[in-house]
Amino acid sequence: MSVLSKSGCNLGTCHGNARGKGGFQISLRGQDPDADYIALTKDFFGRRINSSNPDQSLILLKPTMQLAHEGGKRFAIDSPEYRILREWIARETPNDSTGYRHLAELQVTPAEVYLSARLGEATSGQPSEWQLQIRATAKFTDGSSRDVTSLAVYEIANPIADVSHDGAVVGRSSGETTVLVRYLNRQVPVRIAFLTTRPDFVWSGPTPANFVDEQVFAKLKKLEINPSPVCDDATFVRRVTLDLLGLPPTADDARRFVQDASPDKRRVLIDSLLERPEFSDWWALKWADLLRIEEKTLDQKGVENFHSWLRNAFANHKPLDQLVKEIVAGRGSTYEVPPANFYRALRSPYERSEAVGQLFLGVRLQCSKCHNHPFDQWTQDDYYSWGSVFARVDYKIVENHRRDTNDKHEFDGEQIVFLNESGEAKDPRTKQTRPAKFLGEPNALDRTRDPLDGLAEWLADSRNDRFVQVMANRIWQQVVGRGIVDPVDDFRVTNPASNPSLLKAVADELAGTPRSEQASLDPAIVATSPATAAGTSSREEGAFDLRHLLRVILNSKTYQLASEPNATNRDDEANFSHALIRRYTAEQLLDATSQVLEIPLEFSGFPKGRRAAQLPGVAANRFRKSPLTDADRFLSLFGKPPRLQSCDCERSDETTLSQTFQLVGSGVINRLLTTSGNRLEKLLASGQPVGDIVTELYWASLTRPPTEEELGVTTQFLAKAANLRAALEDVMWSMINSNEFLLRR
Amino acid sequence: MSWIESNSIPRRTALQIGGLGMFGLTLPRFLKAADQPNAKPGRAKSVIFLYQFGGPSHLDTFDPKPNAPDGVRSHYGVIDTSAPGIQICDQLPKTSLVMNDVTLVRTVHHTMKNHNPASYYALTGHAPPLDDIRLRDSQELFPAYGSVVDRLAPATNGMPTFVAFPHVLRDGEITPGQHASFLGKAHDPLLVTADPNDRRFSLPELSLPANLTAERLQDRREIQKLVNRQAKQLDQSAAARGLDAYYERTLGMLNTSKVRDAFNLEAESATTRDKYGRTTYGQSCLLARRLIESGVKFVNVYFANNIGGRVKDGGWDTHGFDNSRMYPLLSDYHLPMTEQTLPTLINDLKERGLFDDTLIVWMGEFGRTPRINDNVSRDHWPQCYTALLAGGGVKRGFVYGTSDKQGAYPDKDPVQLDDLIATVFDLMGIDPQTEVHDKLNRPLPISGGRVVTAVRA
Repeated sequence: MSVLSKSGCNLGTCHGNARGKGGFQISLRGQDPDADYIALTKDFFGRRINSSNPDQSLILLKPTMQLAHEGGKRFAIDSPEYRILREWIARETPNDSTGYRHLAELQVTPAEVYLSARLGEATSGQPSEWQLQIRATAKFTDGSSRDVTSLAVYEIANPIADVSHDGAVVGRSSGETTVLVRYLNRQVPVRIAFLTTRPDFVWSGPTPANFVDEQVFAKLKKLEINPSPVCDDATFVRRVTLDLLGLPPTADDARRFVQDASPDKRRVLIDSLLERPEFSDWWALKWADLLRIEEKTLDQKGVENFHSWLRNAFANHKPLDQLVKEIVAGRGSTYEVPPANFYRALRSPYERSEAVGQLFLGVRLQCSKCHNHPFDQWTQDDYYSWGSVFARVDYKIVENHRRDTNDKHEFDGEQIVFLNESGEAKDPRTKQTRPAKFLGEPNALDRTRDPLDGLAEWLADSRNDRFVQVMANRIWQQVVGRGIVDPVDDFRVTNPASNPSLLKAVADELAGTPRSEQASLDPAIVATSPATAAGTSSREEGAFDLRHLLRVILNSKTYQLASEPNATNRDDEANFSHALIRRYTAEQLLDATSQVLEIPLEFSGFPKGRRAAQLPGVAANRFRKSPLTDADRFLSLFGKPPRLQSCDCERSDETTLSQTFQLVGSGVINRLLTTSGNRLEKLLASGQPVGDIVTELYWASLTRPPTEEELGVTTQFLAKAANLRAALEDVMWSMINSNEFLLRR
Repeated sequence: MSWIESNSIPRRTALQIGGLGMFGLTLPRFLKAADQPNAKPGRAKSVIFLYQFGGPSHLDTFDPKPNAPDGVRSHYGVIDTSAPGIQICDQLPKTSLVMNDVTLVRTVHHTMKNHNPASYYALTGHAPPLDDIRLRDSQELFPAYGSVVDRLAPATNGMPTFVAFPHVLRDGEITPGQHASFLGKAHDPLLVTADPNDRRFSLPELSLPANLTAERLQDRREIQKLVNRQAKQLDQSAAARGLDAYYERTLGMLNTSKVRDAFNLEAESATTRDKYGRTTYGQSCLLARRLIESGVKFVNVYFANNIGGRVKDGGWDTHGFDNSRMYPLLSDYHLPMTEQTLPTLINDLKERGLFDDTLIVWMGEFGRTPRINDNVSRDHWPQCYTALLAGGGVKRGFVYGTSDKQGAYPDKDPVQLDDLIATVFDLMGIDPQTEVHDKLNRPLPISGGRVVTAVRA
């Protein structure tokens, strides 16, 4: 079997395809040896194998191109691959999966390696230091072991290096990559970093503020990457306010902060932002995206209940483990028990199991529905056993006033989510419901216990490392812009954390596990955090506190680094050596524009003045009740998700031509600029000098004063204008459409 | 056969498509793809997809069964056409004259009986996860063909790759398959819902609001650049450069006439406009020709915004509900509309020398029941129906596939929707097995079908 894997025969593009290829189908990446044995020896009237004359077997003729083979030549007649297969055929194809030794473990060395090369001297070819031989050893159940280096398959994640047939790696450009080593049904990743030693490299990072910086900087030192300097106050106040509240600071708040001379003003600002009501709006919005809070399935009342419950949870500092427990165990009337709406939105057992897996365990199980996960440990058995946990969730539909009787997704009316006596979640392979097991647990659930209560207890527990890491990583990603494991819902051996000890440290911090040897360097930060202030790590006294972990992250120098790269960190994306630049979300852009121009927004079905970040659901689903407004259209155009998936990836921050048309031409931005009574009009009416007006607008929109050049050009432009109001609109438009306004930095 | 046609997709793109993930890169075949000597460029440089929403009756259009028994046989007769041996419905005399220019595939089949799932299948080439009457549009579903083309082989001439008009298809809910889905909003079609038959028709995006002039846009752009210059490093970041490119393109489209001209139906003579018919669909077919001519690669023209079938408006869903009857509707509305548009478009493309490079696809989501129902009408029938292909790279005056005596099931050479779509990609020079990645980064081939090589010219 390993020969077929080695030769790429069972890849998805070839015979491993769900439909096979050329009539010959084997399991994807060799996960189902028994079926493959039959396909090889029995199917096609056994013509693939000719034991009496092994050389005439199709399985040897085709890949050696003695017979036409669409996949080209896979191995030569004098190759070890040919020899092994031929020998197996000559021995009349013994099935070694029965009563023979099994692969118990695949050992691969090295697990992680940093290869440094001096650049600038070796001008031709690859630096000799960027070379590595991977070795793979198979340990079998009978205790024997064998070097399988030449039989294993090597696949590289980020193709910055070449890997030979026999595991020899030669780097081509600097960076980090993972080589996945696969033999039979096991796979092990090897992490490799190709570094360029800089003879003149001198560490110039800032003094660590806490353990976050220690972990991040330790990795950067290994990579010989210097972090960017800590950003200036104006950049910081804009970044942290938008990250925590979804809004930019007002002109007054920004000026006050920048002019404040106190040394701990960043810490004070962070503390005050964390207690602002907009913080709860903003975090409720993030979670509402993930929990599929939308009107069609939950109905308007359900959406409002579930959303306001979430918002209150954040406002009242509900610990995250408690929040998750209430969500995954939630049942009852969707009008009376808001978290019961979580299962109302997930109408089948596998939708529920996939969603809980993705949201709280960081696993994308969808692959293992049809075949064992190609890059993870999950098998189809795991998939269907985990689905069975959710099989008994059922609905009592009290009323349904849906408008479209043909639409099975539409529910308008109260439902009771309850746990039925029994429920089916059939494994399509066996047509049976598999015994329920929590994901990755060996034992089936006790049938006498409530599976959802059991799930809540098992899942949201500080001893469930995966859960804690996923939650900590999500929080990290929500403010830093990239997960330590990224994407945040794709934890697997083959997608490891960019900095495992950082992940462990932030996870421990979230769970309240003491870090004896990693005492924070900045006692001020520790003193303000409720968890550590109480001097205990027990769950009851401040574990799973969102604000606590945010405070630790936001006070780190890592979070506060400038976005401007230097010569050493320009190419780094994954190690947090500089702040990440990304487009602000639909809600941030629209609410910011509304705040700057002092004109409240209008959304379909809501009173004037509701901010985009406060909307409980998805506007497009209300179209039948009242017409969509220009603000509603802006949100969907700029990527507010329809909330039909349990994934961050549904929210889009891409730029499109329709967006720039909207920004340039007609639409809500043009309307806010031209509406009478907006900030432009008020400023013009105030009789202030034009220069002061411009300065005020700069602070309001870009959180900084205009430069001398900007002030000169714009005042001159305004002075020449025939229509001052129109000219001021033009200046304002330019600010709203500038990189600084649209992009986080 | 090459894995990626080297002439249609640059190798760099192919590698990106193939995956930044871990797939495939060890496959020598993959890496060799660009060097395949026998790679052929596609014959169809562009596609006009005339989507017949509602589901036209194949028995009363392109697959008549004059010898079928009463109750199955069409009320219409048949006529010989310009293609020897091919007969079609006698209500389509003008269309019969262009049959020597087309290929009919008379054995298209699938199992989706509801409009939204069947339409999604027809618009993407992928079977929906379930035959749910209101199949929900989500990013788990596949993208429209034009979005795939925009992802794999975009237009490089300043024109959009994919334009769709004049409606959004809806059957209760928005019909899935009309946008880029998991490929990302950047690959969405330029969607035009303004009516091309309206006297003041223009692309709304290209019309500035009353308060704005080109001079003011220029001023704004200058000051915007000034502001961007202050944060120099930010201005040089990839994100900022990406944004700037979009502003440049937007303003370019507003300031130059190329795109606006393409949408300017006033530039056509009254005679030409009359030939296509002064209807929304007729002028849409003309607009499709103008867009192809100016370099758009994929145009979706939707026959109607709803399934229709009860009055002389909307789509082809002629059940005979509400005391309506199929035959009078076909005679008075659907068939005359088809007569005025399909042959006109084919002839117009030929006259302009565009026909060889332009593939026309005319099809609906399903055909209609061979048995005429109690309302003297026909219901949904996905088990066997006809698609019409014309132009770019397909045979002329050719029929592929034979349906049985009643037009109920394929008799010979059945063609799955997947196969038909694989064929369209193939004709465009895009290997149907090319993989794209969904939001979970799963590699998915753009089509699971087999190319029907017999229809290639």
